[in-house]
Amino acid sequence: MAEVPALVAAASSCEVDLGNLIAYDPSYHVAAAAAAAASREELRQECLRKGTELAQAVADALFALPPSEDGDGPIVHLPPPTVRLPREKHLPKPKPPTKWELFAKAKGITKRKKNKREWDEQTQSWKRTYGYDRVNDDKDIAIVEAKLTDEPGVDPFAQRRDEKKKRVEKQEKNRLENLKKAAKIGALPSHIQLAAKALPIKGTKADLPKKSRKEDLESVVGMASSATASGGKFDEKLLGEKPPKHPGKHRKFLPVAEGKGMGSLEKQQNDKILNSLLARNSDEPLDVGKASFRIQLLK
Amino acid sequence: MRPLDEKETTQVFEKLFKFTGPNLKHLLERPAVEGPDAEPGRYCLRLNRNRVYYASEALVRRATAVSRPRLAGVGTPIGKFTHHGAFHLTVHALDLLAAHARRRVWLKPDTERSFLFGNSVPKSSLARITENTKVGDGVVVMSMADVPLGFGIAARSAQDCRKADTNAVVVLHQADAGEYLRKEEELM
Repeated sequence: MAEVPALVAAASSCEVDLGNLIAYDPSYHVAAAAAAAASREELRQECLRKGTELAQAVADALFALPPSEDGDGPIVHLPPPTVRLPREKHLPKPKPPTKWELFAKAKGITKRKKNKREWDEQTQSWKRTYGYDRVNDDKDIAIVEAKLTDEPGVDPFAQRRDEKKKRVEKQEKNRLENLKKAAKIGALPSHIQLAAKALPIKGTKADLPKKSRKEDLESVVGMASSATASGGKFDEKLLGEKPPKHPGKHRKFLPVAEGKGMGSLEKQQNDKILNSLLARNSDEPLDVGKASFRIQLLK
Repeated sequence: MRPLDEKETTQVFEKLFKFTGPNLKHLLERPAVEGPDAEPGRYCLRLNRNRVYYASEALVRRATAVSRPRLAGVGTPIGKFTHHGAFHLTVHALDLLAAHARRRVWLKPDTERSFLFGNSVPKSSLARITENTKVGDGVVVMSMADVPLGFGIAARSAQDCRKADTNAVVVLHQADAGEYLRKEEELM
C-alpha cells in the first residue's frame, strides 16, 4: 500500500504507553484539523485517519515486544505504564474526632496497650482480657455480699446484668451518634457507606410501601377464594365477582388418547427427545474388532 | 393415567438408552403386536400414579373406559418414579429389555442363585460377556440357557473384566427375576 510509508513516518512522532495501551501525538492539533476540514464528512475522515495512525503505532510497539510461546499462542508481558491516570473518586475526607477522643484530648488521657492475659483475683489464675474465659467475668462471681443499703428481695446478679445491658446500650448510642456526625460532613467510613445506601432512608420516597400490582392482587384473591374445604366451589359469589382464572388446574398435560391413541403432539415430543438423545450419544467410535471380523468373514 | 411430560420422558428414555442404545428408536416405533384391533398402532408410555407403563395405542384407548381410581395398570409396567422424582426401571421391564438390549452377560449355572437373591455379579460367576461392553452400559443378565434373569449396570468394561480380580464386581444389580418372590408386595 502506498499509504504505509506515510503512516510509518507519522508513527515515529507518537508517544506510546504500552502499559495502558495508549498512543499520543503531541504535535497534532485537532482544532486546526477541524478548521481546515471543509465538511463534517471530511472531518470524520481526518479523525479516522489520525486514529488509524495512532492505533497502528500501538500495534507496532506491541508486536515489537518479545513474545513467549504458550499453548494458546504468543504471550507478551506489557511494561509498567508511564502515564499516571487521574483519580476516579475524591480523596477520603478525614473523619471528625469522636466524643471520647475529644474528651481524652481535653483531659490529656493517652492510650495504653493492654496485655493479652491478666491476673484474675477472683479465680486466682491467668485469664484473657476479653472473650471466652475472661477476667472479671460475671459468671465467676459466686457470692455477692449484701450491703446495708440493699433491700431484701432484690437480686444482685440480675442487677449486675441490667447494669451491663444499660452500659452496652449507652455505648451503642454513642457509636451511632459519632457515625451520624461523620455522615453529616460526608466522612462515613467506607464499609458503613455501603450499608447505609442499601436501606431506604426513612421518610424519603424510597421508603414508602410499594403498591401491589393488579396481577398480584388477582392471584391472591384467587388463592383466598379457593382456600375453603370444597375449593371455593359452593361459596356465594359477590355481585360482580368473576370466576377465578385458573380453576384448580395449574399444570396442563397432553391428552391421554387422541385419535388412534397417540396424538401428534405426543409423537412430536417423543421424537424430539429421542433425536436429541441419539444425537448426543452418536459419537460411538467405530468398533474396530467387529469391522475387521466382518471383513475377514467376507474374505 | 396420563402421558409423560417432557422432563419425565427424557428421564425414561435416558434410562432405556443405557440398555438399548440406538435400538431405542425401534423400541418406540415398532408396530404393536397386542390388542384386538387389526392395526394396533405403535407403543406409547403412560403414567399411572407413579408407574410408567408401555402399552400399545389400542390398549390405551380402551383403558380410558376404566375410571381413574380403578385403573391398576395398562400394558407392561417398565419402571416407577420415586418420591423425589427419580426414575428407576423395575423387573417388569425384563422381557422388553432382554429383547432389545445390546449388551448381555451370561452367568455360570451354579452362580445364578446368588444373582437371583439380589447380589451383584462377581467375576467368578461370569461365563460370557458381550465384547464391546463399556463401563456404565446397561446389561441384561442371562443364564447359560439364554433365559433372562435380570439386569444391571456394567461396573467394568469387557477388557477390564479379563484383568480383574475374581471377586471384583462386574455387574451392579438393578433388578432380577427373584424379586417377584422377594418383593411381591412392593412390585404390585
